[in-house]
Order: sequence, then structure tokens, then C-alpha cells
Amino acid sequence: MDDAIVVEGLVKTFRTPLRRRKVEAVRSVSFRVGRGEIFGFLGPNGAGKTTTIKVLVGLVRPTAGRVTVLGGAPDDMGVKRRLGFLPEQPYFYDYLKPTELLDVFGALFGMSRAERRRVIPDLLDRVGLGAAKDRAIRKFSKGMQQRVGIAQALLNDPDLVILDEPMSGLDPIGRREVIDLIASLKARGKTVFFSSHILADVERLADRVVILDRGVMKASGTLPELLGQGTDEREVVLRAAPGSPDPASLPGVSRVEALSPGLVRAICPAGRSDPVLAAALAAGFAVVSVAERRMTLEELVVSHAAGAGPGGIGAGGTAGGAS
Amino acid sequence: MTAAVVRISAIARNTFVEAARNRAFVGLGVAAVGLVVSSMVLSGLALSDQQSRVLVDFGLFSIALLEVVIAIVLGVILVFKEIDRKTFYLVLPKPVHRHEVLAGKFAGLLGVLAVALVLMAAAWFASLASRDVEFKPDMAKALALVWMEAALVTSAAIFFSSFATPVMSGVFSLGVFLVGRNVAVLEELLAGTKGPLVHNPLARTIAETTVFVFPDLTRFGVGREVILGIPVGWDYVGAAALYCAGYCLFFGALASLVFRRREFL
Ligand SMILES: Nc1ncnc2c1ncn2[C@@H]1O[C@H](COP(=O)(O)OP(=O)(O)OP(=O)(O)O)[C@@H](O)[C@H]1O
Ligand SMILES: [Mg+2]
Repeated sequence: MDDAIVVEGLVKTFRTPLRRRKVEAVRSVSFRVGRGEIFGFLGPNGAGKTTTIKVLVGLVRPTAGRVTVLGGAPDDMGVKRRLGFLPEQPYFYDYLKPTELLDVFGALFGMSRAERRRVIPDLLDRVGLGAAKDRAIRKFSKGMQQRVGIAQALLNDPDLVILDEPMSGLDPIGRREVIDLIASLKARGKTVFFSSHILADVERLADRVVILDRGVMKASGTLPELLGQGTDEREVVLRAAPGSPDPASLPGVSRVEALSPGLVRAICPAGRSDPVLAAALAAGFAVVSVAERRMTLEELVVSHAAGAGPGGIGAGGTAGGAS
Repeated sequence: MTAAVVRISAIARNTFVEAARNRAFVGLGVAAVGLVVSSMVLSGLALSDQQSRVLVDFGLFSIALLEVVIAIVLGVILVFKEIDRKTFYLVLPKPVHRHEVLAGKFAGLLGVLAVALVLMAAAWFASLASRDVEFKPDMAKALALVWMEAALVTSAAIFFSSFATPVMSGVFSLGVFLVGRNVAVLEELLAGTKGPLVHNPLARTIAETTVFVFPDLTRFGVGREVILGIPVGWDYVGAAALYCAGYCLFFGALASLVFRRREFL
């Protein structure tokens, strides 16, 4: 079966006419997204995620390389009919009510009036806007606007959904709902490609990820591949009692991470966990958990972005200057 | 084909709603009607024996001017807003051709211009009736021609907005209007045996190109005929409609070409 998205050697260079400077937003990126996959697109600010996504939906043309979406070109009408897209920070015709907005888009998707009347109220309920459907979008909060954006991305029951930071601006309940929604799309055989900075969500959802940094692909693969099946380290979570010593001083502990007041995670080589436990108990710590240590996605992303300065702020500055 | 019509009319309707729900645009419409009424009152006061003539002339003149102002302002702003506010990010990835989006915007603006025209015409007819000036069918034809002129200017405004800044687009569109209103003068100069265009080849070439490229908007002005009672035939109106449609297609095709290549950053 052919892939939902194929990106081959994608390069996108922006020219800023005034300063005659080139910005290499994407510098040769290749990956494939299989049908039915949930695919996470990661990287610090200014990594080139939005630029790549704009190429995928035909808003921007590649400087070099090739993209195929659902087996066709991004501007193919047949492809667009089966595609749902949520842009980063979406802007709406905000003088419209959500029902009216979805009605306009429904017409563009070739849905009949009867179909629109049937589908739209259901969809608005699904994204939690059932109670707000008769107010102008102008008066919506940020999170409510984000929900409108998600609704319009699902309007045509697309085979492929491309979401640029779908969780941004959502409250914890909204985030939870979007996670469930993405999972339910997968259950129905849809492909979901999404970018996000909320790595816990990506870890929960994504079958595979690509990590981008300053336009370059740093890693790609399934999460088990990238994070490893585990490491040869163990982590012991300890609760300190009044007067207990510095846990880093316990014999065998290689390093310590503070989790919350009174709670620490001590990391030690796999073969040393028993002596560490004994020493900790003797020193008056309570043992909360012992587990095989695994790398988190956050650690992976941060390690790949290392050298980019604190969280890629330098790249973010470029983004601000260019807009 | 019918699917395309559905898409274009969805965008047209949305464009119309956008104008109708925009306080600034509604204000512009109200001001336009107010201007027509006040200009009628003032012109009526100035001269008494030629009153009906002045009323008819001044009314048509102000309506035509205000229609063109509305055409330029809305044509430029509504396209610019889509690009600037990035609503196009939502529209263009939908299964709609870019030229259909432009066609829809254009059609929606034609609707806005028609409503503005009807309101101003109502004010005009009311002022005429209050001075016992008789209604003539040619007045309706004159109004239809005014609408065509505004449509043509709108298509130019959309074309310019597809690549230029709003201010530049406004200036260019105004240029089309002003030059278009005076192309006939140039034509006369070119045809004449005297004047600055006879011996200066460069000026002559420029003038000839201008006459060739720019629309002759005086074709849409029949104020004199209406006043003097010279009948305006349907064949004349039909020819003007074709002329208008030709230029709208010309500007529309240019705008589509630019728009198809355009990136949305
Ligand atoms: N229109 C533009 N003109 C010039 N440079 C641009 C333009 N758009 C983006 N860039 C540059 O391209 C690079 C990648 O930007 P992009 O928006 O793709 O990043 P991103 O990964 O989506 O970041 P974020 O997480 O902040 O959304 C940045 O350096 C940015 O400055
Ligand atoms: Mg982005």
C-alpha cells in the first residue's frame, strides 16, 4: 500500500527581499507517513515544521525536492477533497458563527445542503462547541477558536488530517478531548500528521515521529526505536524523611533529579540497584518506586536541539524578525 | 461545472456577508446614500430654471463616483484582508481552485455594489420625485451602466490586490478609473491633425498604448443622453455589457495567473 505522505529531499529557502538574506527554513528533509499512522512532527521553535506543513498543503512551493500527499500533488482537487488541515494559529471569518463558517467550507467540499445540515451540528458537539454555535467566532476565546479550527479540519471526514499544533491554547480537558479524537481517527483507519510541543501527548499518541532542528532532520522512527527498549540504568524514586542525607551521596547513585519537594529520582547502573535500595532504606528514605530507566521523548528532543541555545531561542528570534 | 458554481457562490455569499456585517462598510454605504441626498438638495437650490437637468446630471454623477469608490475600497480591502489575516490558509487547502476563490470574491462584490446602487438610486428617485421630475426608463439603463463601470473597476482592484500592497492597489485602481474616464479625449487627440500627439512619436506611442490597454469608461456614462432625451437603446447597453465583461475577464485572467503562482507565507 502506498504512503499517505512522501517527502523526498525537501528544501525551502525564503528570501527576504529587503535584507537580501536567505533563510533556509528546510534543508533537505525526507520521510514517509504510512496510511493509518499517527505521525508526530517535532522540533524547537523555528525548526521548519510549519514550513514543511505549508508545502504539504500547497500554500508554499518547495525550493527543491518532492512531496506527495495521498498519492498526488498537494494542489490536486482529488487530494484536497480527502484532506483536513488545521493551520498554526488559525484565523477565521470571525464575523460568522461556527455553523455558518462550516457551511461555507462544507460547500467548498461539495457537500449538499442536507448533508451540511446533518453533519455540522454533530461535529460542533464533538469538539465541544455545541453550546456556542450561535455566537460570532469573534467573541470566542482562544481555545474555543482552536476547537473551531479542529472542527473544520474534520468536516469532510478526511482520510488524512494535518494538524499544526492542535493542542495549542487548549485547557487540560480540551487537550484530553483532542487526544481521544486523534486516537479515534486512527481507530477508523485515518492518517494523522501533527506537530506539537507537548511531548507527553506525542508520546501517548504517535506511532512514529520525526525530529527537526533548524531545518535538518535529526531523528526519525518509531518511539521504541528512538527511545530504546530501555537503558542499562535503573531509577529509584525516594521520599526523603526529615534529617535524611543528600541522596546523591548514597553509594552507587550516579545522579539525582529532583521531582517535587521531598521527592527525588536517583539513577544508578542496573547492577547497583540492590545496594542503592539498601543504603537508601538505611538512611531513612522511603522507596516509592524502582523501574528500568527509559529515555523520555523530551530528553530526546532536547538532546537533539542541544547547541541551538536555550530551547532554540535564537531561531525563534529570526522568526520574529521575519514576520 | 455545477460544482464550481456551488463553490464560487459559497465564496460570493460569504464576501457579501462580510461586507454587510462590517460596520465600516455599512457606514460607507449610509454615507453614500446621505451624499446623494445632500448633493441633490444642494444642486436643486443652486439653479431653479434648469433644476431637473441639474438634478439628473448631479445625481448620476455622484452615484457613479460613489459606486467606484465602494468598488475600489472593498475590492482592495477584502482581498488584502484574506491574505493579511491568513483566512486563505483555511480556504486554499480546501478543494477549490484559486481562480474560483477570486471569482467568488468578485461575484460577492458585484452583489454589494448592486445593493449600494439600489439604495442610492432610491434616494435619487425620491429626490427627483420631490421636485416633480419625471422618471424615465433610460435612467434605469444609466444606472445599469454605472454598475458595469463599477464592476470593471472592481475587477481591476482585485487584480492589483493579488500582488500589490493595499495602498498601491488603491492608487492603481484609481488610475484605471481616471485614465479610463479620459481615454476618449486621448483618442480624439490621436485622431486629430493638430495637438501635442501629432509630431511627438514617443508621446504618440504612449497614448496609443494607453488607448489600447485601458478601458474607455465613458462608454458607461449616458448622463447627457438622459438629460437631452436622446434614447439609450438596449443594443447600446448590451454592447457596453459585453465590453465590461471582456475587461472583467481580462483582469480576472491576469489576477488568476498571479494568484496561481503565489505563495502564502
Ligand atoms: N515567510 C517567511 N519568510 C522568511 N522566513 C520565514 C518565513 N516563514 C518562516 N520563516 C523562517 O523559517 C524557519 C522555520 O519556520 P517555521 O515556522 O517552519 O518553524 P516551526 O518549526 O513551525 O516553529 P514553531 O514551533 O515556532 O511554530 C524560521 O527560521 C523562520 O524564521
Ligand atoms: Mg510552527
